[in-house]
Amino acid sequence: MTIEFNNVLPFPLQEYPHGPESVWKNTFKIDFPKKVVLNASSGKGKSTFVNTIYGIRQDFEGTVKLDNADISNFTLDEWIELRRTKLSIIFQDLQLFPELTVMQNLQLKNELTNHREESRLIEMLELLGIGDKQNQLCKNLSLGQQQRVAIIRSLLQPFELLLMDEPFSHLDDNNAKIALDLIAKETELNNGGFILTTLGGYHGFDYEQELNL
Amino acid sequence: MLKEILFRNKTNFQFVFATIGALIGLTALCLSFQLMLDVQSFHSGEEDLFGPNSVVIQKKVTKLSSLGMNSTDFSDEEVEELRNKEFITDVAPFESADFRVAISEVEGDGLPPFYADMFFQSIPDRFLDLDVDWDWNEESEYIPIVLPRDFIMIINYGIAQSQGFNQISEELMLAARLTIHIKGKDGNTKMIGRVVGFSQKISSILVPKSFLDHANEKYGSGNKIQPNRIFITTVDDSYGELEELMDDMNLDIAKSAIDVAKIKTIIGVVIGIFGIAAVLIMLLSLMGFVQYSQLVLSKASYEIQTLLRLGYSIKMIVKTFIKQMAITFGIITISAISIMILIKLLIVDVWLDDNGIQLESSSLIPAILLAILCFGIFVGANFLNVKKTVRKLGE
Repeated sequence: MTIEFNNVLPFPLQEYPHGPESVWKNTFKIDFPKKVVLNASSGKGKSTFVNTIYGIRQDFEGTVKLDNADISNFTLDEWIELRRTKLSIIFQDLQLFPELTVMQNLQLKNELTNHREESRLIEMLELLGIGDKQNQLCKNLSLGQQQRVAIIRSLLQPFELLLMDEPFSHLDDNNAKIALDLIAKETELNNGGFILTTLGGYHGFDYEQELNL
Repeated sequence: MLKEILFRNKTNFQFVFATIGALIGLTALCLSFQLMLDVQSFHSGEEDLFGPNSVVIQKKVTKLSSLGMNSTDFSDEEVEELRNKEFITDVAPFESADFRVAISEVEGDGLPPFYADMFFQSIPDRFLDLDVDWDWNEESEYIPIVLPRDFIMIINYGIAQSQGFNQISEELMLAARLTIHIKGKDGNTKMIGRVVGFSQKISSILVPKSFLDHANEKYGSGNKIQPNRIFITTVDDSYGELEELMDDMNLDIAKSAIDVAKIKTIIGVVIGIFGIAAVLIMLLSLMGFVQYSQLVLSKASYEIQTLLRLGYSIKMIVKTFIKQMAITFGIITISAISIMILIKLLIVDVWLDDNGIQLESSSLIPAILLAILCFGIFVGANFLNVKKTVRKLGE
């Protein structure tokens, strides 16, 4: 998958100055599979960047292209198809279903994509240290535990690009390392790449390209 | 699981309210439609053509008529005037025989010996209220005759007793032949006739038009006979105009025909009002359901947006939603059809029967199809509404 930005500037960020290294008001192209990190302090537009590529935000000027196609021309149905087959995401606000159990949250995605056996879901939960939480309602979990559920959910589909918006913000270094290893392994299996946004912690992340805001 | 997510925040009050409304509305609509069809079939069924909408009119016989100073015949102009009335759809004057007729028994056929002067009339075949073999041509074995049912009553309970002969059964009357004595311009002739049926509604002695035309030409005096009785068929709900016509032309019409027409009109109006009320209730309940789905969708907006972001298609979400609505509407539709049939059979039909109103029950299929159409409209309207709302949430 190829992502191309041509002078993109979100409307809410028009008032702010953007440096020559910034992804905003700049032109660049990334060919995936590749491991990319986007490091910036809070309020610079990390989530805006991720959500723009994911098609949730369309309030920008300039052109964004996915595989040479201008995303402003994509229909909702085309976005949905992309989100099922090529693009996966870990939202900063997780977007889990709080009234469903951990397992139901994972099954909801897995039943849609038919991507993994249920035994593999349990393996992943255990690997991330929440194997005993599978029947608990998500709303009763800590933020760190919820974050791990969201990480596993993002891996239950084929993808060429995994977008991660501060996915380890509530995890300690050890758990972040375990999660990152799992993500790296699944990404390789999918022959895909990812973009990780972070406030500064790299969690031992071995990236190939860094973007700035 | 989708169902669990989407309907988690449903509000039972709106749902129950809309369901009860839809059930009442659909039942009332189907019932009024069914009754309308029953009344309609009463109006226009072929066997009922000479029903309350077709009446025989004649002028009242007055003292002057008795003195020969005032004719009860209808002139050509009067017939034309009737034809031009907007509420009259068919006009058919009775034709009368232009020769004298008498009948007697055929010896050996079981009837007691008798000889009686008679008259013949004919009406267009479409007005005959009986299903009998009514064809006649010169090769026919006998002349078919239809008598008024009252005729056999008069013979059996009046003449037979006073004249001292045996009563005659309907079967015997239908089996026995009659000798027809015709006295015309070129002398007398005898023919064979047979009673083929008894009419409840036409107080005349009827023979086929083909016979009467033939006989009038052969035995008649050649004078033009003006009709004194006319069939008219009126449009529905026109008893008011008919009463006015009676006054204007000094007509005599069987009162029962007017009364039945009046009852039919009243029933029609009542059912019509009932039907309109039912349509309004249905529309309100449809709006109730649309509002209910809007409410459920807006309460599930986070869930719907998240599902779309996870890759769930609009179609899958709408399908889950509509499937639930369709099950609800399906139960409402089946219940409404069942209640409609029960009300009709156990209450309406019994009431009509008790009040002497005989309505031929028409097929239930059109009312059931109407219910299915309403089901389709409900599902369709909600489908469009849900699809639009889900898409809006996704965008």
